Amino acid sequence: MGNFESLWHGFSVALTTYHVLLMITGVLLGILVGVLPGLGAPNGVTLLLPLTFGMNPVAAIILLTSMYWGALFGGSTTSILFNIPGEPSSVATTFDGYPMARQGKAAHALTLAFLSAAFGALVGVILITLLSTWAANFALRFGSPEYFAVYFLAFASFVGLGGAAPLKTLVSMGLGLAFAAVGMDTISGSLRLTFGLDTLVSGISFLVAVIGLFGIGELLISMEEGLRFDGIKARISPRAVFEAIRSMPRHWVALLRGSSIGCWMGITPGGPTAASFMSYGLARRFSKRGKNFGNGEPEGIISPETADHAAGTSAMLPMLALGVPGSATSAVMLGGLMIWGLNPGPTLFTDRPDFVWGLIASMYIANIVAVVLVLSTVPIFASILRVPFAIIGPMIVVVCFIGAYTVSASQPDLLLVVLFGIMGYAFKKLDYPIAPMVLAMVLGDKAEDAFRQSMIMSKGSLAIFWSNGLAATLTALGLLLLCWPAIAATWRRARNGKRPMGAVENRGSNGGERQEVA
Amino acid sequence: MTRFAAEVATALVTLALGLAIVVGAREYGTGWAAGGPEPGTFPFYVGLLVTAASAGNLLLAWRKRHAGIVFVNAVQLRRIAAFGLPILGFVALALTLGFYVATAIYLAAVMRFQGGFRWSACIAVALCTSAFFFLVLEVWFRVPLLKGPLEAILGYR
Repeated sequence: MGNFESLWHGFSVALTTYHVLLMITGVLLGILVGVLPGLGAPNGVTLLLPLTFGMNPVAAIILLTSMYWGALFGGSTTSILFNIPGEPSSVATTFDGYPMARQGKAAHALTLAFLSAAFGALVGVILITLLSTWAANFALRFGSPEYFAVYFLAFASFVGLGGAAPLKTLVSMGLGLAFAAVGMDTISGSLRLTFGLDTLVSGISFLVAVIGLFGIGELLISMEEGLRFDGIKARISPRAVFEAIRSMPRHWVALLRGSSIGCWMGITPGGPTAASFMSYGLARRFSKRGKNFGNGEPEGIISPETADHAAGTSAMLPMLALGVPGSATSAVMLGGLMIWGLNPGPTLFTDRPDFVWGLIASMYIANIVAVVLVLSTVPIFASILRVPFAIIGPMIVVVCFIGAYTVSASQPDLLLVVLFGIMGYAFKKLDYPIAPMVLAMVLGDKAEDAFRQSMIMSKGSLAIFWSNGLAATLTALGLLLLCWPAIAATWRRARNGKRPMGAVENRGSNGGERQEVA
Repeated sequence: MTRFAAEVATALVTLALGLAIVVGAREYGTGWAAGGPEPGTFPFYVGLLVTAASAGNLLLAWRKRHAGIVFVNAVQLRRIAAFGLPILGFVALALTLGFYVATAIYLAAVMRFQGGFRWSACIAVALCTSAFFFLVLEVWFRVPLLKGPLEAILGYR
């Protein structure tokens, strides 16, 4: 098979001393970012991005993706040891991870989490290896109408699968699309939505928005809850690791279920956070040991962790093959690809095979590097959280603002960070999802171009999105997902009508505990 | 502050943004020009979507106005102010004195007044952090940051 030859070539690209050093740096920075509250994978990658502008794209993407893997691992560490999720996607890991650590099995819990995460990632990368060429060839047949239909499908699946209140998702997404439109219009060359403000002429950078929304917004939230780190000390002995490895095969059902949920949610842009909640919810419902969930049940760690990492890795597949990212972090990376002068999408596979396969090969290596590093450095990173927050907090703030400034050396961007920070805080507290806004900001221009080109092709008729089987299928799927919340609500009402006690709380497992179904 | 008030305030802000987008887009034409849709078309409909969805959120919030859930209590508000206001100060300093001086002042002040550290410790950490950023960014990665009068005196531009 051609894929394996390409992968082999990819390994020869990725396995140089320089690249492996970059992986180690990336993973360590990632763990750091994942451990620190207020800094997560999306804005960690954002902060690092300006420093890669001068690097060659292969090295740059290896550094950024390694940071992503590291951040995913770091997030689980704090979930288990401190009951504080370092990443939104590791919230579900706290449910059983922290209780287990309190029972004195912290090392076992951590090893389980890391190993199942690595398993999930491995399944994700294998999926990418097998499917990417096929997906890219498939996508080569896409014209503007098909592309717009794909974007529409991506946006609609946030509404249908994201788990947050549908209207709030729409607001967040719409604002993202509008922010993307600010500034120079790429087709007509005229300026739009600047409201006479000079600072808006160059547009609103999504990187600045990510730093504000995820960085400052998240910090404000964690400050409000009054940060107290009641950490549990953990030293990981080889014996604990060995025992955890030996117990892994017993949980094969949870591992497989978690990876399939994760892969599905990563490819459709549900993202790792939704994936981990969904996996936890389903495991609690269907596992034989479901009753123990919440009291330190190993499967309660394995399920969300596997899904989290499977989603994080497989989110790279649509990003590479279609140019449609499956998570907020991969949306930032997609922005990076465009800045490095690459054209994400199917042509990338023919134009820059070294880049694509180097990246895929690096995902195998970097995840192994990450597991080894995270296992050996847990005590060091856990001790960072024992540094008083009056020191760490302001440092994170400084890093955020410096990062925002380095994006384009623009002073008004600092004020934008403040505004987006306030917005991120309000949105987070009121359960408006933020990832759709980031995705919309990255894809807004491309979606609009695809729409306008389709309109030009069809002389203004929307029927072009139904004109062939491919576009029609994608559009129909998109519409179905868009209306899914309404359909599900009607169906639930009908069922509850028959059974007044109806205990249908399925959607709750989708997006979080606090979400409300209108 | 109740959650209801916060929901309403946020929905009103997004509603206003939506209207602003609609009005802004109207300036550039929302119809059909010779070569295709006019530049305002796409933002116009996006603005309508945001406006409509915000109105919907307002309605949903109104239905639950008696739930009486607290959005932020006084203690939390104080914590946010104690953390957020210095950030504004930092931004103001960074814009006038440059990043490195602002970083040092901000760190030292927060450590002293919130962390209760000794002045000597505050100043040491602040200066080291500032110097670290300077080395990494200006020297190593050659990414220039905003600089102020102090750097000018020292001869850095």
